[in-house]
Amino acid sequence: MKKTATITWVILMALTMVSALVSKLENSYALLIILLLSAFKFYGIAFQFMEMKKAHPFWKISLGLFTALFFVLIIVFNVRSI
Amino acid sequence: MNNLTINYKNIWYPPGGILIWIIICLELLTFGAALIAMVYYGNQEIEQFQNSSLKLNTTYGMLNTLFLLTSGYFMAISVHELKNGTKKKFKKFLLLTILFGGLFLCLKSFEYYEKLSEGIYLGYNTFFTFYWMLTLFHVIHVLVGIVILTSVYFGIKKEHSNTKIEDVEAGAAFWHMCDLIWMMLFPVIYLLF
Repeated sequence: MKKTATITWVILMALTMVSALVSKLENSYALLIILLLSAFKFYGIAFQFMEMKKAHPFWKISLGLFTALFFVLIIVFNVRSI
Repeated sequence: MNNLTINYKNIWYPPGGILIWIIICLELLTFGAALIAMVYYGNQEIEQFQNSSLKLNTTYGMLNTLFLLTSGYFMAISVHELKNGTKKKFKKFLLLTILFGGLFLCLKSFEYYEKLSEGIYLGYNTFFTFYWMLTLFHVIHVLVGIVILTSVYFGIKKEHSNTKIEDVEAGAAFWHMCDLIWMMLFPVIYLLF
């Protein structure tokens, strides 16, 4: 578990820095990349650090659906403003 | 310390326990709805949100994310050490968790100080109303989390501790919830507009 948590932590740190760099780009896909990276970080914390990977499928599916719905709605509302 | 084997596959016992997960679900739904509302208003007042967003320092936001992620990592390791029965390591990693939570609060306070010095208060405009409300509520959660972890630390430190592994896991789940909320706040408030 310790090794997995360490790998997850390194990946999450790298993704955070990538998100900050991508936000500086003048690219229409930047928004999508930032939100995808954020969703990935959310899953990393929930499933690795909180050990939701060991939980009952109900919790895994609920959390997965919530995250997907949240980021999709953010994209939908924001795309209208681009 | 009561070190029982927990069956996480039980629907009524997600890691941390059902009660803390009811709180986590409500918190995520509340922050999620507020952030969606923020993006909706951002769509109505595009120019104001873009100009206001430029007043935020992305580097502070990124550093705070790194602090919280590191804190969450130490929390996960400390729970792992406690389950392995190494109480000394558990305490060390728990202190590191609290330290990085403290660093988050220090940087956030500095950021707030800068904003207040510039005259950017709660009612400055719609963007900053959302900024202050959402980030302040999150800061309150981090403060509560630090209090919970400190209480867990002193509970475990006792010679004949009656703190159960479930209590530690519930505290850890609350702390990770602060990370999860920040993972939603950071991209929307600092990077999106």
